Amino acid sequence: MDQVVFQSVRKIFRHRPALFNWLGSERGGETVALKDVSFSAARAEVLVLLGPNGSGKTTALKLISTMLLPDDGSVQVGGFDARRDAGEVRRQVGIAVAAERSFFPRLSARENLDFFAALDEVSRSEREQRVKEVLTDTGLEEQADTLVMKFSSGMYQRLGIARALVKRPSVLLLDEPTRSLDAATTAHFWATIRDLARQQTTVLLATHNFAEAAAVADRLLLLHRGELLADRPVDHGESAETLRTFYFRMTGEIDEAMGATHGAGRAP
Amino acid sequence: MVRDGRPDLTTMIPTTMTSTLDKLYAILRRDLLTAVRHRSGFVVTLVGVFTELAAFYFLSRAIGPGFRPGGLEYFPFLLVGTGVYTFFVMSAQAFLSAVQEAQQTGTLEVLMTTSTAPAQLIILSSVSAFAGNLVNLLVYLFAGVAIFRASVHANFFSCAAVLIFSLAIALALGIAAATLQVAFQKGSALLWLLSSGLWFLSGTMFPIQSLPRPLELLARAVPLTYSIDGMRRALLEGQSVTAMAPTLAVLAEFGIVLLPLALAGLALSLRRARQDGTLSFY
Repeated sequence: MDQVVFQSVRKIFRHRPALFNWLGSERGGETVALKDVSFSAARAEVLVLLGPNGSGKTTALKLISTMLLPDDGSVQVGGFDARRDAGEVRRQVGIAVAAERSFFPRLSARENLDFFAALDEVSRSEREQRVKEVLTDTGLEEQADTLVMKFSSGMYQRLGIARALVKRPSVLLLDEPTRSLDAATTAHFWATIRDLARQQTTVLLATHNFAEAAAVADRLLLLHRGELLADRPVDHGESAETLRTFYFRMTGEIDEAMGATHGAGRAP
Repeated sequence: MVRDGRPDLTTMIPTTMTSTLDKLYAILRRDLLTAVRHRSGFVVTLVGVFTELAAFYFLSRAIGPGFRPGGLEYFPFLLVGTGVYTFFVMSAQAFLSAVQEAQQTGTLEVLMTTSTAPAQLIILSSVSAFAGNLVNLLVYLFAGVAIFRASVHANFFSCAAVLIFSLAIALALGIAAATLQVAFQKGSALLWLLSSGLWFLSGTMFPIQSLPRPLELLARAVPLTYSIDGMRRALLEGQSVTAMAPTLAVLAEFGIVLLPLALAGLALSLRRARQDGTLSFY
């Protein structure tokens, strides 16, 4: 059975200008973030949502997490509808958002994780051990008792991943999870994702990093301007370069980096 | 379940209750830790309390002993009026600030994806905000009695009854401010209306009988009027719960009407924000 099902989902953001809009240049209208997008993710699968900024990757993750509601279509997690059974969906989903500062600044990393674990109904007897585990998994054990207001961007990002993991979700949603991480931490994190999949966790990861997609994906969804352009398996060992070529072929965008490289190497 | 020959109370409490209490404890702990780590915050509050009380004490002395609203000395009258009013406004303000801060940092969106239902989360958070300000109210009243010698004849049961019934109204107020904040990013407007518009209608500094008749009638439609009046009678006159039954009944009626209304409004505004993608707008 599919763990996540996205069926003909349409999401529109409507912009309502201010009352005295004639004073400024704010525009009304609407942005179609997702246009009739359908896909599914099986248990223990790592599904990578690849696409440029504004392609609808984050919107898709937010819809699965119940942060957003679809305008049309349905989103299901573990057989529960995200609109009708939002509570059941939230019990199964853990999300690490791109907003780095979504923590309580005057609490330590441990205290923040303990707080969110309590709201996620992790029992008090298990909480201490689970918090310790995720702090170790994300390499934050030395900063466990530091107030998060003193954290760097990378540490915030690791803490966000720890927060998503502490409830042991069956579906893990990651929005650009390695954006601020150093190379060693990134490599360790990619290995962690593959471990989670082996432990039957379904992972949906939004990124525009080809190396990341190649390192972790079982399957790749290519989103572009709210449309699903491709849904294809990724062979283990497939290179980032192959995915890059595939991306530019499908989107029709110009690979300026490659063009520059080719241009530089060309004889006058 | 029996453990060591005694009933195990933890298994007798329903799981949902244990879970709710656990969440409330987590929220109270978060707010307490945040408050104590603002190192100068408590000292500033204490200085503010002392300065405000001193101002009211000397104001009542300047006016003289001849002015006895409702037969009460003016300083105790002011002490209770301003204390209860400040408790209401500052509690709602603290709660609203927490919601605004959560919107700005992106915490609100994340909180809304935890296993805790959004409405439950908001109610528990507001309880925490009110608990913090209840401590401030008690410090304020204690300082007024201990330092400035306000004469009180408290009936503690009546005081507790007024406080409990008033809490439901205060919760409704805090939730209404959060609702406006989530829906229109305008929770502060409601508080501005309350703090600048209603204080003179609720008998905070002078009896509502001094107002022109139309304004007096308007004042009787303000729940805060009954909370302040009830607390004065319970704390300063020592009236019994029975004697205060009509006031308590009015407070209960306000609570029964306002709290469900505020909760329904909140549920609606949260749903709309999830539909429009405006949960983190501020």
